[in-house]
Amino acid sequence: MLYGLTAAWLIVVVYVVLLSLRDRKLRKELDRVRRMVETAEKPK
Amino acid sequence: MRTKIILLLAIVSAALLAWNLQTIFLRLPDELNQGAIYRIIYFHVPANILGMTGFGLGMLFSLVYLVTKNLRYDALAESLTEVALVFASIGLVTGSIWARIIWGVWWAWDVRLTSWLVCWLIFAGYLMLRHAIEEPIQRAKFAAVVSVFGTVDAYISYKSIEWYRNQHPAPVLSIRNGGGMAPGMEAPIWWNLLALTCLAAILVIVRMRQQGIAREIDTLRRTAHSY
Repeated sequence: MLYGLTAAWLIVVVYVVLLSLRDRKLRKELDRVRRMVETAEKPK
Repeated sequence: MRTKIILLLAIVSAALLAWNLQTIFLRLPDELNQGAIYRIIYFHVPANILGMTGFGLGMLFSLVYLVTKNLRYDALAESLTEVALVFASIGLVTGSIWARIIWGVWWAWDVRLTSWLVCWLIFAGYLMLRHAIEEPIQRAKFAAVVSVFGTVDAYISYKSIEWYRNQHPAPVLSIRNGGGMAPGMEAPIWWNLLALTCLAAILVIVRMRQQGIAREIDTLRRTAHSY
């Protein structure tokens, strides 16, 4: 029984970790693209 | 506002799970034939219900996208399908652990198990397909078609324990006229379903927020390329 419970929660934990890693990656990319746009918008 | 909803859902989910765990482990007796292992049903059944419901809702929002052409519905369909796949995985793994102890084998190729595995593979393919197609409109259309096929298979899997003689147990829940559980043993399944539904809702909200960020990145990239 405990194996089943552990396996179930392990799957949830792995997904949450993957979700948070993806979140961090997306936010970094958003910052990078925002800076890129700001640089392009500045008058030369 | 969204953070407050997530917090509220997390509190409700944690409280229900804590209450249920003490009910399942400390208050309910062992089942006569299966012993303690029957308790796996309290996670196996709610996880599979969430998997099937999530796939069905995902298909529904894919169809809404096809009608409205609003990509937010496609994003919602993807979020629901991804979270449903997590719960379907829990259903498959917990079922397999139960089978090893009760049947003596990890897996049996009966209609229920096979159709559910095929469904899992179809939706895993659905997510891979989405990663492979760059163009958002084409991606949403192809994904909607795959979602329809997958949901048909999910329905076949759902009904298979009524239609066919399987190694998998016949329906036990009272709403499916099963009646295979003693009074008092069924209620924790529904409470666990509610707790896991709150957890699934949190995951869908977080995934939707990520989809919003991804859309913003796409818009900014297009703006940058137009300079």
